[in-house]
Amino acid sequence: MTDFASADSIAMDFTGAGDGRERALALLLLSMADDEFVIGFSDSEWTGIGPILEEDVAISSLAQDELGHAQALYRLFAEVVGDGRDADAVAYDRPPEGYFHARLLDHGRGDWAATIARRWLYEAADAARLEALAETSFEPLRELIAKIRREERYHRMHVDAWLERLADAEGEPRRRLLAALEAMGPDAGTVLAPLPGEPALVRHGILAKPFAAIEARWRAEADGTLRRFGLPALPPTRDPQSARTSHSDVFRALHAEFTMVRGSEVGATW
Amino acid sequence: MTDHATPGVLEPWEVFRQEKDGDPMRHGGSVMAPDATLAIHYAREMYGRRQESVHLWIVRRADIHDLADPDLLQPPLDRSFKKPGGYVMRDKLAAAREVSGQAKPKANKGAR
Repeated sequence: MTDFASADSIAMDFTGAGDGRERALALLLLSMADDEFVIGFSDSEWTGIGPILEEDVAISSLAQDELGHAQALYRLFAEVVGDGRDADAVAYDRPPEGYFHARLLDHGRGDWAATIARRWLYEAADAARLEALAETSFEPLRELIAKIRREERYHRMHVDAWLERLADAEGEPRRRLLAALEAMGPDAGTVLAPLPGEPALVRHGILAKPFAAIEARWRAEADGTLRRFGLPALPPTRDPQSARTSHSDVFRALHAEFTMVRGSEVGATW
Repeated sequence: MTDHATPGVLEPWEVFRQEKDGDPMRHGGSVMAPDATLAIHYAREMYGRRQESVHLWIVRRADIHDLADPDLLQPPLDRSFKKPGGYVMRDKLAAAREVSGQAKPKANKGAR
């Protein structure tokens, strides 16, 4: 399990967040917010170049939904940490090493099959995580998750429909899907890798069960789906200790892009 | 994937939407999609993602039976007696007034 020491590289000042419940809660919120932010921003790259007009609108709308979830989670994080930063400052004013998203999202959007593979792996894992937080003792998060889950239901319908089409297609679509799943498979479990402070989360009723249990449930379900399509099962998670703390060049390039406008005039009111 | 007509081939689907409970379904527009599942997704994105609809109907355009034959819909003879108001009397009344020399009565404004 990762501990707080290895999470220091995420360049956060936890002044006022304490060392127990608050600190663990803050890391949980940041992990979820960064996941939603990175996949939302990355998927938004399809705007204008989607496979067909309708799908262009659909994927752009899904990406916007994810960014909306990220914004709401960053707000909760800012309230819990209470260090004076607002949601925008948390979202945009960190160096690339300061982001705490899962390594799965360090893979770029790639081609359409890669985007679908990444969305499918992430959405299924995120759904398992949201389920384990549905009855969380942290009330603002419980209320937010009830809303997020209603939107994520549609997101899963969308990506399930696409996974089925690519998997059932002959030739190139299926080949590309297989290649994407092979490249991302070892990182799929990083979304549900254990978090620093996780025992405190479970003890305080914030998280219903440890991530290992959430991960096992997600993996069984995901492998069942893959088997149904004659696709290989997911490999074990590669290097779970650095699941959220060592990022790729692909992410650094993405970071340079999404901080570009805000960074062009520091402190400006947009 | 039972609903694939020809895999991967896009076809038009017509979308009808209800704005609020009790309203009639009105034609909203159309989307292109290869099958019903994706047509429903795209209809949702095009005609429902801003919470502007409470109900959508998504219909494959090829499943719509089309009727636009003027012989059937706009027959050339006077069929006004089939309308709920009965015969159009305006022309006959005007002719009768002409014969009798009576002026057209003023519209009854009612007693206010």
